[in-house]
Amino acid sequence: MSIKIRNLTVTFKNGVTAVNHADLEIPSGVFGLLGENGAGKTTLMRVLTTALKPTAGEVTLNGIPYSESNYNRIRSRIGYLPQEIDLYPNLTVQECLEYMGELSGVEIRECRRRIGEYLERTSLTEHRRKKMRQLSGGMKRRVGLIQALLNEPEFLIVDEPTTGLDPEERIRIRNLLVEFSENRTVLFSTHVVEDLAATCSRLAVMKKGNFLYSGSARELLGMVRGKVWDCCVSDEEAAGRLERAYLVSAKQYADSGVRLRIISEKKPQNTSACMPCEATLEDAYIYVSNRNAQTE
Amino acid sequence: MRKEIKIALPTYKVLYSAAFFVILSLVRTVVYADEIGIAMEAPASALAAVFCADTYLMEIHSRRREVFRLYDEKRQARAVRRRLAAQILYLTALSALGYAMFYWQKPYDPVNAGLSETALFGISIAAIAGSIFFWGVLSMTVCNLFRNQWAGIGAALVLWTVLSSRAGDRMLGNWNAFSFTFRTIEEGMDFGWLYGKSLTILAAAVLLAMVPYILKKRG
Repeated sequence: MSIKIRNLTVTFKNGVTAVNHADLEIPSGVFGLLGENGAGKTTLMRVLTTALKPTAGEVTLNGIPYSESNYNRIRSRIGYLPQEIDLYPNLTVQECLEYMGELSGVEIRECRRRIGEYLERTSLTEHRRKKMRQLSGGMKRRVGLIQALLNEPEFLIVDEPTTGLDPEERIRIRNLLVEFSENRTVLFSTHVVEDLAATCSRLAVMKKGNFLYSGSARELLGMVRGKVWDCCVSDEEAAGRLERAYLVSAKQYADSGVRLRIISEKKPQNTSACMPCEATLEDAYIYVSNRNAQTE
Repeated sequence: MRKEIKIALPTYKVLYSAAFFVILSLVRTVVYADEIGIAMEAPASALAAVFCADTYLMEIHSRRREVFRLYDEKRQARAVRRRLAAQILYLTALSALGYAMFYWQKPYDPVNAGLSETALFGISIAAIAGSIFFWGVLSMTVCNLFRNQWAGIGAALVLWTVLSSRAGDRMLGNWNAFSFTFRTIEEGMDFGWLYGKSLTILAAAVLLAMVPYILKKRG
């Protein structure tokens, strides 16, 4: 199961190019898509769900080219959780999922079985009789995810699935996605790097319609290893100087002064207390995003 | 179908449509029972145009469209038609109730002695149902084409204004969508208005058949 994107370009009528000659291969498993707002992630996902026709380029899903004649075949293999979706407010959770399952073509008994299973796994069983409009944002998000899973899609696309969820629920959802990704592909778009670190072995970083990085999370981490420094300065003025001179991925006020997490090829100057520290995926993301910005 | 009813008939729609018929029966004067159908057809049509406008558009407004369009095209069209059917049946049933409400005005017996009040009721509700069907489908279709609720309601109401006017009657006669309203009630057994009604039902059926195509192109 893989999705191949070759030289994909999406230019809107107003002249804005949201995806610019992008190449990407998305293998089986959870694949992370990381990028700032406006990077082109949602546009890419809209192309992958067939909602948007690209201006140029090719996309294939398991060898099936994205062309109008194949859209029905492709759509039947896709599950999608958009970033924002208001599910039928007058229906109960159970009714809403049954309705969407029936529309997906899932046989009603099988649909009910799957609904029961996924409600259990997302801790929503006790809320199944509640109307959709009575649910909290996080619960609605979970129901949204279940509707995307109901037809057991080969390719699941989830846009910010953990938004509005508490930490325990986020972990449950992440685990559900990982379990679901066995022999399938899950494209997981998020701003929360921590979520990707916990779920993805491979990911891509997007910025201004281009892929700055595509590969394994381990290699991405390797790129920043030895370049992350934990520095402590006495006051805000010194911290400001460091912020202007270096990439700072975190800042914290401590008893000893101001602690900064700095990403730099060399040990930061003008500070005495600076120790190398373990790199995180977030450091790597910031490094890649800004490295490419500097070379542009 | 139960789920479609709950989706297509939210509380606010039920309330405003019911209020519409209550108010209509209070403000629209009728003298003879024959006039009840005439008093109701055009307003019920306007109500249908507003009521059914968002039948599919609700998917766009609620940002469900990108999930909805992943479904098989036949199932998409069936879902939209079922919602439309729920609304049309509801409006027809409400029209029947609305018809009864006009009896608060204690209208005189039908002018035409050839028709019993029951027959007149049946004929009127059938004619109104045909109109509800046409204006509901028309409004929904234009909304879907332009992906804009006001475009659909606006276009339908412009056509409604033309057809429900005296000029519309003069131009189209028995072929008018409101031929039932413009019929001569003294000639109760003249069913020439069926031409216009049949034409509108046929037009609505054609528009309904185009639903999958429109959803595919404009959904």
